[in-house]
Amino acid sequence: MAESTILIGAVAYDPKVVTIWEGMRAHFGTVGVPMDFALFSNYERQVEALLAGHIDIAWNTPLAHVRVKRRTRGAAPALGMRDSDRDFHSKIVVRKSAGIRSLPELSGRRLAVGTRDSTQARILPLHFLRAAGVDPSAVEILEFNSDPGKHGDTGASELDVLRALAEGRADAGTVGDLVWVSELAAGRVPVGELEVLWTTPGFDHCMFDGRLGLDATARDTFIRALMSMDWEIPAHRRVLELEGLRRWLPPREEGYRSLERALDEENAW
Amino acid sequence: MSSPPAVAVATVAAVAVDAGALPLGGGLLALLRPALMRLEPGGVLALLSSSKTTAEDLPAWCRLERHEYLGSASLSDGRQQHLIRRGPHGVLAPRFDGAASAPAAAGEPRPSGSPPRTRDLAAQVPPPAYADPDSGFAPRGASVEPGGPPYPFTLLDRDRAMPPETSDLYEQAVAAQWDPGRDIPWQKAGQLPPALAQALAQVMTFLAENELSALYVPSRFVARLHPAYAEVAMLLAAQLADEARHIDVFLKRAALLGVGLGVSSATTALSLRTLLAYDDFVEASFMLSVLGEGTFLDLLRFVEDHAPDEATAEIARRARADEARHVRFGLCHVRHALAADPTLAMRLEQAVRRRAAVMSGGGIPAPVQDAFTILAARGDHPADVARGHDAFRALLETMQQNRQRRLAAAGFSNEQAAHLSALHTPNFM
Repeated sequence: MAESTILIGAVAYDPKVVTIWEGMRAHFGTVGVPMDFALFSNYERQVEALLAGHIDIAWNTPLAHVRVKRRTRGAAPALGMRDSDRDFHSKIVVRKSAGIRSLPELSGRRLAVGTRDSTQARILPLHFLRAAGVDPSAVEILEFNSDPGKHGDTGASELDVLRALAEGRADAGTVGDLVWVSELAAGRVPVGELEVLWTTPGFDHCMFDGRLGLDATARDTFIRALMSMDWEIPAHRRVLELEGLRRWLPPREEGYRSLERALDEENAW
Repeated sequence: MSSPPAVAVATVAAVAVDAGALPLGGGLLALLRPALMRLEPGGVLALLSSSKTTAEDLPAWCRLERHEYLGSASLSDGRQQHLIRRGPHGVLAPRFDGAASAPAAAGEPRPSGSPPRTRDLAAQVPPPAYADPDSGFAPRGASVEPGGPPYPFTLLDRDRAMPPETSDLYEQAVAAQWDPGRDIPWQKAGQLPPALAQALAQVMTFLAENELSALYVPSRFVARLHPAYAEVAMLLAAQLADEARHIDVFLKRAALLGVGLGVSSATTALSLRTLLAYDDFVEASFMLSVLGEGTFLDLLRFVEDHAPDEATAEIARRARADEARHVRFGLCHVRHALAADPTLAMRLEQAVRRRAAVMSGGGIPAPVQDAFTILAARGDHPADVARGHDAFRALLETMQQNRQRRLAAAGFSNEQAAHLSALHTPNFM
């Protein structure tokens, strides 16, 4: 490989990840930016590879992103995010028959939560509940650690939470808003039995993180190639659709503050 | 409990949807989504809802679909009014200005109660001069969402793919389908003397072999036709069903003779093999339908005229009626393509030459010629065979004349027609 080839890390949470990155590489090739990718099985190893300089750029979850920022004292450059990564929310969904009408009434009830490293299905909803005055130790937590290491990318634990709610194994549950509303829109939620009790404040999701020392030319070419992807171009659209976005946007950091606070509280860095 | 932004008073919705008490996951979207898709991007819609959960679910749905949730306000009757600005994605829904507008485009009005015609579809949504390769299997006239994958269709222009007569020919083909079990008087397929039985078995073998080629050759083009010209693929499908039926009845007639099948000669095999080599739809149509099946009409008439029993005569008659439609499509196809592209005449002539170049000039395979002679003689008595021989010679002459006539009907000059007819091998197909 030429020395100028940009090596991007991504986590293989689903077979479609190969299709996505083959498509991304093809697009980068057509705009004259040599790029290749390396797939990891979990975000912890990907973060270590980025910090060690084995890869140039990592496509990171919010948890992986704030860890990279923390361990480089903010020096690792953030490069871009999806439109869908902005203004994420989590939902507290309840069984109507449980009769929970306010957050304090969660006390003593069973709350289903997603994978322990999922930002949207566990870390932030519990953080926001604490902030709203709910004491997690007074709630019976039902955990679904369905995809550890993938930081909730598969959505499997969120579907587990919804299933537990539908089957009456939990009174309330935490899921990301995109999984919730996608399931709703597809008609897969028994709306007579489940409803949203509360929507958390917003937060941001995935981010491209560059390694320390990534030179400015490589950084700028990467950003230019990324931002030139266009939903209206069918070849681009097929990749963007699989990756769950309509357009790439510049990075912004303020959407990660709540996650940093949550990790501080739980001593989970 | 989340607090949506207050709605600016100045925002005016172009359209309002009353969703009653429907929750978002319980039917509301079936009202909301089509209403949004009838707006241009940027248009604002007001959703009236008495469902309490809508305020929680609607902003997330808007985020998912890239619409802009503008906020909500309480109405005096206790309902909520949510405002949504339609996002840039999704296909603008087709507009209908009234129930009568669509059929009116068809030209002549259809008497009420009469069945709709296939040609009306082409009149309402004419086949495009060039088809969009990315529209996939979308029926002509559908609103195609952009971004679909490319499809491997290669017949993308109307002049080469779809003559204007196609819709009518398709309807005729469907209406004329027949059932061998019901429509052939098999009880009249009597026993024949050995010489005549063997001759008829040879004739049926030859007919079935030719029809197998007519089943395979057009089928190669069905999957290449762009669905914008679906009527052509549908017509070919009806023709393939015809060929399948012909193969079936020819072999059944032979089986009832009890003398086995006849010979499949190498000359016939070579002749039919060349038909598989045409990659151009018009060339294949010309070689198979105009020249091959055209000649086949004369052959079937000969079998009908000299049939030793009514079952055989009916088989030949029905097969000929089907083949006449195939020839008609071939003529329309070639005539239309020739009118659009004058250089095509030369290419078609070259196709005939290429075929003649690989044929040894051996004429009709001997077993086939002998079988036709015995068939026309109704047996092997020498005095009758002389008559059979004359009938066969007359058949060759008829074929030559009719071939020239069809070539002229396809758009060739008389001189070209005579020349091409002479080049075409007398191997019938």
